[in-house]
Amino acid sequence: MFKKIIANSMTKSPWIYHVNTGSCNGCDIELVACLTPRYDVERYGFKLAGTPRHADIVVVSGPITSQSKDRLLRTLEQVPNPHCVVTIGSCPQSGNVFKGSYSVEAPLEKFCEVDVAIAGCTPKPEAIIEGLYKAAQILKKKREAM
Amino acid sequence: MPDILARLLDVLVVALHVLIFPGLLFAAVGGLLLAGIDRKVLAHMQRRIGPPIVQPFYDFFKLMGKETIIPAAARPGIYKAAPIIGLVSLSLMMLFFPIFGHSAAFGGTADLIVILYLLTIPAVALIIGGSASGSPFAGVGISREMVVMLGYELPLVMVLLAVAKKVGGSALVFSLQGISDWQLTNGCLLFQWSMIPAALAFLLIIPAEVGTQPFDVAEAETEICEGPLIEYSGAPLAIFKLNTAIKMFVMTALFSVLFLGDINLGQYWLLGGLVLFVISAVLTILCMTFIHAFTARLKIEHLFKFYWTVVAGLALVSLVLVWFGL
Amino acid sequence: MSNFYVHFPVISVMGLFLAAFLVEIFGNKNKHVRYAISLIACLGAAAMTFYLIVPVFFRGEVISYWMGGWKPEGGYAFGIGYEIDGLGLFFGLLTALTFLMSVLFSRRYMERDGHLGHYYTLFLMLAGSVLGLVFTGDVFNLFIMIEIMTFASVALTAFRHGKHPEALEGAFKYLVLGSIGSSLFLLGVALLYLTTHTLNMAQIAALISSKGMQPTTLLAFGTMLAGLAVKSFVVPFHTPAADAYATAPASVSTLFSGMVNKAGIYGIIRLTYILFRTMDKESLMLLLSILGALTMFVGVTMALAQHDFKRLLAFHSISQIGYVLMAVGLGTNLGLYGGLFHAMNHTLFKGLLFLTAGAVYYATGTTNLDKLGGLAKRMPRTTACFLVGAFAISGIPPFNGFASKWIIYQAAYEKANLSGNFIYVIITVTALLVSVMTLASFIKVTGAVFFGQAPATLEKTKEVPFGMQLPMFIMSALCIACGLFYNQTIVYVVNPAVNAVTNPAKYVDTMMGEGYAFANGIGPQPTTFTSVSIWDPVFWLLLFVIVTCAVTLVAVSGARERGPVSLPEKTDSKHATFFGCEESLHSHVGGSDLFWGFKKDLKGYFKVMGNLHSGKTNDYALWVVIGVTLITLFTFVFLS
Repeated sequence: MFKKIIANSMTKSPWIYHVNTGSCNGCDIELVACLTPRYDVERYGFKLAGTPRHADIVVVSGPITSQSKDRLLRTLEQVPNPHCVVTIGSCPQSGNVFKGSYSVEAPLEKFCEVDVAIAGCTPKPEAIIEGLYKAAQILKKKREAM
Repeated sequence: MPDILARLLDVLVVALHVLIFPGLLFAAVGGLLLAGIDRKVLAHMQRRIGPPIVQPFYDFFKLMGKETIIPAAARPGIYKAAPIIGLVSLSLMMLFFPIFGHSAAFGGTADLIVILYLLTIPAVALIIGGSASGSPFAGVGISREMVVMLGYELPLVMVLLAVAKKVGGSALVFSLQGISDWQLTNGCLLFQWSMIPAALAFLLIIPAEVGTQPFDVAEAETEICEGPLIEYSGAPLAIFKLNTAIKMFVMTALFSVLFLGDINLGQYWLLGGLVLFVISAVLTILCMTFIHAFTARLKIEHLFKFYWTVVAGLALVSLVLVWFGL
Repeated sequence: MSNFYVHFPVISVMGLFLAAFLVEIFGNKNKHVRYAISLIACLGAAAMTFYLIVPVFFRGEVISYWMGGWKPEGGYAFGIGYEIDGLGLFFGLLTALTFLMSVLFSRRYMERDGHLGHYYTLFLMLAGSVLGLVFTGDVFNLFIMIEIMTFASVALTAFRHGKHPEALEGAFKYLVLGSIGSSLFLLGVALLYLTTHTLNMAQIAALISSKGMQPTTLLAFGTMLAGLAVKSFVVPFHTPAADAYATAPASVSTLFSGMVNKAGIYGIIRLTYILFRTMDKESLMLLLSILGALTMFVGVTMALAQHDFKRLLAFHSISQIGYVLMAVGLGTNLGLYGGLFHAMNHTLFKGLLFLTAGAVYYATGTTNLDKLGGLAKRMPRTTACFLVGAFAISGIPPFNGFASKWIIYQAAYEKANLSGNFIYVIITVTALLVSVMTLASFIKVTGAVFFGQAPATLEKTKEVPFGMQLPMFIMSALCIACGLFYNQTIVYVVNPAVNAVTNPAKYVDTMMGEGYAFANGIGPQPTTFTSVSIWDPVFWLLLFVIVTCAVTLVAVSGARERGPVSLPEKTDSKHATFFGCEESLHSHVGGSDLFWGFKKDLKGYFKVMGNLHSGKTNDYALWVVIGVTLITLFTFVFLS
C-alpha cells in the first residue's frame, strides 16, 4: 500500500533545483514566471528547493560552459535517487547560437542522461509546465523501477 | 485473571493514547493538515490556486521514498537519530496538554516550565543534526537558529510567568491542568485585559518558534540553502519537515490551553480533538499565514532586536500588570 | 568500637597531606611509586568520606572530633574541633568524587609533562585542604585550609608555564586576588575572635545568636563574606577564574570547578545560615541573590564571546556558581534544595566538561575553538560524553542540570510571589534566560569542536586511552542518573544537607553539649522537599522510549518501501558536502564568529564588558576592593 502511495506522491510533489550553466537569463525568467500567480505551478506541488539534496528535478538552463560543467556534474551527482534532469531552452540541447564556441560544452546528453528537453528560445511557461509535468511522471516510473 | 486483563487493557489504552489519539498519529496528521491549510490560504491571499490541502502528505511520502544520502562528513548515528528525537519529543508534548478530558493523566507529569524546556529539544535536535552534517551553510544556519531561540525565549519566559502568576494569585500555578481549571470558572485568560499583551506576544512568538517567514532566517532557502537541513535528504528530511508541521500544531495548541482553556467534551473526545484542530487552524492562519503573506524575511539582527524590544515589551507589560494584581 | 568512624574525617584529611609529602620524598624518581601513593591516598580518603554517608545521612548523626582530645572547658572551646554535619559531608562527597575522578584522569593526561612529583604533591595538598575545609569546625582552621587551597591552586595553575607562558600570568592574578580574599577572611576571623573569644564555629554561632549583631561582628561578616566570594569567583571577584581555569591542566580545572569554588560556596552557606544566621534578613539575602543573578548573566555573556574551549568553560563555571548563590540567597527551603542540588550537579557536569576539554587537548594539543573541528568522527566516545555534559549544563530535560535549575526557577518565582518584590521576578527571568544562553554557547562548542569540517591538521586525531575515558563515563552516568532520579537524589543526598543547614541547633549541641543551642536561642526547623511544579522524568523517558520504539519499528518494517540509504564508503562527490561552488572559496566558520547577530545587537554591552575585563591585575584588584567596600557598606546599612 505504502509503495503505491509513495509512487503516487512522486508525481504530486516534485521539488525543483535550478542550475544556470551560462544561460542568458531568458529561460530563468520564464521558469520563475511559472511560479507566479498567473501560472502557479505550486498547484501541482512544484516547489523550488534550496539544495540539490532536496531536489527531485534538476532544471538545467544555458549552454554548459566549460567553467560550469564540472560543477553541474557534481551537483547532479548529489541529487538523491530517483531524480530527473530537465533542460530548458535550446542551449543545453544543442548549444544554440553558442555552438562551436571553444568554451561551450553543450549538448548535455554527452555527460548525463536527460529525461525531458524543453525546446525553444525561450520556451513559453506553458511549455515549461508541460515539460515539468512529464518529468514528474517519469519520476514515478523511476521510483517504481527502484 | 480479570485483574490482569483489566491491567492489560489499561496498558493498551495508554499505548493508544501515546501512539494514536493525542499522541503521535494525531499530532502528525493534524500538523501536516495545518501546514497544508497554511500553504493553501497563503496561495489564495496571493491570488493563486495553490497546492491541495493534503500537499504536505504528498511531500512527506515522496521524501520517504527518496534515497537517503549520508554525507561523508556526518556521523551516521547522530545524523539519523536527530530527527527522530525531535519528532518523539514533539509528539509527546501533545500528551501533556489538558485538552482531551481523559488524557489528563499525562498532565501530571510535566507543567509550564518543563514544557518550556521540552520545546527546546526539537530545536536542539535540528541544530545537532545540522551541525553533524558538516556543511558551512549549516554552520550559519545553526548559529541563526540559536540566535532566534535566544530572541524568542525571553518574551516566552515572561508570558509563561505572567500566566502562572495570573492564575495562581497568592500560590503559583505552573500546572497546565490548573490553568485550564481556572479558566473553566473564571473565563478565558484571553478576555482578561491585562493578559491581552501577553497573548499578542505569544502569537508573535509562534512563527519564530515554528520558523515561518518572516522569521525563517535559520532555514532561508534562498540565501543559505535551508541552513541546518542542507545536507539532509530522504526519510530524515521527511521527518524534519514533519517536525516543523507538528510544531505548528503544538504551539497553537499551547496557545489555546494557555489563553482559551480546556476543550473537554467528555466522551465526545474526538469532537474535542476536532475543535482543537479548528482553533489551531484559525491561529495558524492568523499568526503565520497573514504575516507570511505581507512580509519579507528579516535580517537576523533585526529579528533579535524585534523580539527583545517589541515582543518582550508586550510580555513585560502583562507581567507588570499581573504583578500589581490587575 | 561502635563509632570508629569518628576518626575517618581527620584520617582522610591527614592521609592526603601525608601522602603529599611522601610523594615528594619517594615519588620524584619513580612514576609508578608516586602514582600508587597518590591513588591510594585519594581512594582511601574518598572511601572514608563515602563511608560517612551511613552515620551522617542515614542516621542523622553529627560527627565531632577534638584534636588531641582538647574538649571544651568551662563553656569555651579551646581545641581544634572537626565537625561533620550533613552540609559538610555533602560538600565532602563532592570533593571526594572530584579528586578521585581527577586522579584517575591524571595518570594518562599528565604523562607527557615533567616534574610530576610536584604535580601530585600539589594535587594532594589541594585535595586535602578542601576536604579539611569542609570538615573543620574551627574558623581559624578554615582559614588555614583556605590558604593551603589558594597556594596549591596557584602553583597548579602555573604548572604548565613552560609550554604555556600565559599560565604564569593566570597564576599571578590568582595569587594576588586570592591573597586579598584570604586576608579579608583572616581579618574577619580576628574580629570575630575579638567579640566572641572563641574560634569554634558552633560556639560562635550560639554566641552571635544570643548577643545579636554588633558593629564588630557586622564588619567581620562583611569581610568574611567578601573573602569567601573571592574564593568562589562571584562577580565582581570572578576575574582571576578565567585565566586560572583556562591555563591550568584540565585535571586541575576539574578540581577548581568541582571543589575549589564549591569550597567558597560552602563557606558562604556556613556563614549566612549557621554562623551569623542572616537568612531572615531579607535585604542581605537579596544582595546575595542579586550578586548571584549578576554572576550568572555576566558569566554566560562573557562565555558567549570566548574562543578558547577551556576559557569558555571557565566563564560557564562562574555563571553556574551564580545559580547556586542566587538560590541560596533566596533564603527559602526550596531555594536551598535547588542551590545545593545545583552545586552537586555543577560538580558532575562541569567536571565532565573539563575532562572532555582535557581529552581534546590531549588528542589535538589545542583548545582554540577556531582551530578545532570535526572531532566527532575521530573521538566518538569523548563526543558522547561532551554532549551529555553540554545538555546537562544547558538544562535540557531529562538531564540533571534541568532538574536542579527547574527547582531554582520555582524557588525564585515562589520567593517573588511571597515577598511581592519585583526584583525576584527579574532574577527568575534572568535565570531562565541564562539557561538558553548557556545552551547557545554549548551549541557553539559542539559545532566548532566536535562537528563541522575537520582542519587538515586534525586528520590523524585518535580517541584518548581508556584510562581517560573511564572518569568521563562515570561522570556521564552520574549526570543522567541524577537527572532521571532527581527525587531520590534529593531525598537521600540533598535533604540531609538542607536539614543540617536549617537545624543548626544540632550542630551546636554536638560540639558544645546538649542544650547549649537552645540556651542561646537557636531552635530546630525540620524541612521536607515540596515542589511547586511537576516533572516526572522517568515517566517521560518511558513514553519517549515507547514512541521511539514504535517509530523505529515502523522505520524498520517499512525499509523495503522506503528509499535506500546510501552510506559513504569513500569520499566521492556524491557524499561530499554541498558548497554551491568550490570548497576552497568557503571560509571555515570559526567558533568565535557564531552568534554575530546577537553580538551586533548587544555590542554596547560587550564593549563595556570587554573594557572591564582588561586583563590587568591592578584593575582586577580594584574591582575586588570596590566589591568588598560595597558588601561591607551594604551589611552596615541593612543589618545594623
